Amino acid sequence: MDKTKILVVDDNPTIRKGLSIRLQANGYEVLFAEDAISATAALVAERPDLVILDLGLPAGDGFVVMERLRKHDRLANIPVIVLTGREMAGNRERALQAGATAIFQKPVEDGTLLFAIRKALDVSRGELRFDE
Amino acid sequence: MTEPTRRSSALTSYLSHELRNALACIHQFGNILVDGLAGELSGEQREYIGIMLENASKIRSVLDGALDGASDPLEKCANKIERVSKLET
Repeated sequence: MDKTKILVVDDNPTIRKGLSIRLQANGYEVLFAEDAISATAALVAERPDLVILDLGLPAGDGFVVMERLRKHDRLANIPVIVLTGREMAGNRERALQAGATAIFQKPVEDGTLLFAIRKALDVSRGELRFDE
Repeated sequence: MTEPTRRSSALTSYLSHELRNALACIHQFGNILVDGLAGELSGEQREYIGIMLENASKIRSVLDGALDGASDPLEKCANKIERVSKLET
């Protein structure tokens, strides 16, 4: 059985590496993108099962990535977990309206993030509603 | 939005982004070490990383609320630092 693929989009290479170690240790295959353009390319080429998305990115931002994602038939249902260093005021509502499944402010507890990932994947596979 | 308000808001956003990313790295890699994902640690090593993570959590506590949606980030930050100091004594 193929591993669940998670695309990590963050312009900070240290954050990408830390997430990669944690996610791989939990059995996920991890893909990376460092800006809005490479994120869109990776989404189309790889069709990941879930995206962990920073909001502050070069060449666009996380909202641009979500907008492109939601307009694309084949990709529109991929769950997106926003992980941002930005202040939550304003960004939380905007991210959820843009289609984010969940939003967390950095730093997030590993257990919290892994739980949200599992739940978002279950929901996207039709095994659970997100409010369950 | 007035110029001072705009500048204060821009400073808040900048500080939030930069400090939270730096804290996230400390938090991520500290926990990777504690969880043994980079090899087993001695009891002493584990204790020192625990101290590091505990202090990173204190910084996060200062940031939470102090910067998020702050109308006066500096004043809120000073109040938050005072509250954390009182908790420690």
